[in-house]
Amino acid sequence: MSPVYLDTLTKIYPNGYEAVHDFDLEVEDGELMVLVGPSGCGKTTVMRMVAGLERITRGTLRFDDRVMNDVSPKDRDIAMVFQNYALYPHMTVGENIGFALSMRKLPKSEVRKKVKETAEILGLEEWIDRKPGQLSGGQRQRVAMGRAIVREPKVFLMDEPLSNLDAKLRVQMRAEVTRIQRRVGVSTIYVTHDQVEAMTMGDRVAVMRDGHLQQCAKPQEVYDNPVNIFVAGFMGSPSMNLFEATLNENADAFKLGSQSLKLSAGVLAMKPALKKYANSRIVVGIRPESLNAPGPQTQKGDDDVSLAGEVDLVEALGSELLVHFSTDAVRVEAEGAVSEDAEGLDAGLIAQRGAGVARVEPGAQVTLGGTTTFSLNPSRLYFFDSSTGLSIVD
Amino acid sequence: MKIFNRIWTKTLGFIVLLAFTAFFIVPVIWLLLAPTKTDHQLIFGNPFSFGSFHNLAHAIRVTFTYQDYALLTWVKNSAIYSFGGIAIALVASIPAGYALAFTNFIGRRTLLGITLFVMIMPATALVLPLFLEANAVHAIGSPISVILPFSFFPFGVYLSYIFYSSSVPRDLLNAARIDGCNEWNVFRKIALPLARPVVALVAFFAFVANWNNFFLPFVMLPSNSNYPLPIGLQDLLSSTPAFNPGIGGDVPILRPELAVATIVAMAPVLIVFLFAQRSLVSGMLAGATKE
Repeated sequence: MSPVYLDTLTKIYPNGYEAVHDFDLEVEDGELMVLVGPSGCGKTTVMRMVAGLERITRGTLRFDDRVMNDVSPKDRDIAMVFQNYALYPHMTVGENIGFALSMRKLPKSEVRKKVKETAEILGLEEWIDRKPGQLSGGQRQRVAMGRAIVREPKVFLMDEPLSNLDAKLRVQMRAEVTRIQRRVGVSTIYVTHDQVEAMTMGDRVAVMRDGHLQQCAKPQEVYDNPVNIFVAGFMGSPSMNLFEATLNENADAFKLGSQSLKLSAGVLAMKPALKKYANSRIVVGIRPESLNAPGPQTQKGDDDVSLAGEVDLVEALGSELLVHFSTDAVRVEAEGAVSEDAEGLDAGLIAQRGAGVARVEPGAQVTLGGTTTFSLNPSRLYFFDSSTGLSIVD
Repeated sequence: MKIFNRIWTKTLGFIVLLAFTAFFIVPVIWLLLAPTKTDHQLIFGNPFSFGSFHNLAHAIRVTFTYQDYALLTWVKNSAIYSFGGIAIALVASIPAGYALAFTNFIGRRTLLGITLFVMIMPATALVLPLFLEANAVHAIGSPISVILPFSFFPFGVYLSYIFYSSSVPRDLLNAARIDGCNEWNVFRKIALPLARPVVALVAFFAFVANWNNFFLPFVMLPSNSNYPLPIGLQDLLSSTPAFNPGIGGDVPILRPELAVATIVAMAPVLIVFLFAQRSLVSGMLAGATKE
């Protein structure tokens, strides 16, 4: 068990492609650090650099105080769970789990003992003599975990281990993996593109985009205080509604399309920096759950403002309704490539029809095709600089 | 109407299959029946008739005792040359395919291209330069002059390369490295055991090519006691009065005896094929299934 320090880690491929750029991260002893981001953001490359499967172009990697840049994978004392499990097909489950131990030349009896203990933790005892080809996906995943746990390494690396499982199994295994990691207490770097896994499993979450670290903090912190538009739109499902808005002269109200929303004095006091954006364009973010539709459980607050939208689609989830609505505001997309018809917007934003999603109580009065006026507390609004994408704070 | 079409198609198909089967199998049946007849019966009798066991015993005895059990010596030689060649071919091609598939070295692509190119070169074209080489090191007449060229098998390298690059995921080897294997152990404990299907494939193809090879041993081995089966068969042929009217001898080698020798030459390949069949099929399909 040891903390892992990534110091300005950079990876540039021979063809010049920079996959990871000046990546700084500290994984504390026993912590489960989730690296999350869209496909191609460099998270797997970072993990492979930690594993020793990719050479580090620049920067330093340390386990505790030992520099690991030039240490070969077999000497790093790490264990990795691959996305496709990478189980040895010609060996039994027991041999798979015990392989690393037998490579270390431990006596056979001890190997058998440890394998048995690990199999018990994972509920694999009755399959110890089967080959991986005879197991289901979930069982194979557990064998892959067993192979990692049994070694009691310094660091665990997990590369999207749950992405090959079906939805229900994934939910179960999420809890299993977290439970096992807590029990074993090994520093873990967990790579995923699924922000739900990031929120539920991580002690801390590191959001990546295009090889750069965007934000690293506890899950709730990343959710409540995203540092830029990308993080705001990435974390949370359905994702945050982002619209282009224009602040008025006194920065106490903003125009969203044709609607004007007033900011209470309290909000202005919390975010004095907004004054600098008077009379200019900003990006406003509204989490779906902040929007309330008129219904038996909704209580309107004194400072609440209204946002009207035409209801396009209502998805009933049982515990809540997802109301897809549209306004005449300009929607901002946090992710993806900039399209050719984007007009003068920076930081990877493209404009779409002013569509949004609201998460409301199941009994809310919304009619398909009609107009609903949502109420929301302005203190729950998010504000971003439209050219840099950074959150406007203080 | 549809049913009529189906019956007609099936019958037509059956007839075509029957015709092709007959085309290939009739000579084999003739060959199997030949040792049971006398030379005269073979020419003038019904090709599918069964002669007698007495004839069969005589033919077998004469063939095997020819030149002091030369036939057995030839079988032994063929076995040594073929298996020797296979062993070296395997030791060379399996690791070569592995290296071509998983390591990155300068000239890798060129090497792959050269392997493909050499694969399609006819082996006969190489016999003369090989002879000159063997002569230069005074290896003419020794088994090594045959075994070493036999073990040169670029097709095996290519098969091994295809197998490794399509059926063994890189992450499997990475997992082994992380588990503490050095490069040699990665090969020995993971890559090699997984190569069982391709070992059978390469061994089979190498065996068939080497067992039937005539020209190379013909050029390299002057002495009768070193002959493999194909050369021996030719020797036998030249002792058959029907094919070589000038020859005379105590007990002449006639066509039934020739048939016995031919069957002895064919049998090992058949047996090997029967045993290797299971591995061959799974080996051919190796690329289709991924872990």
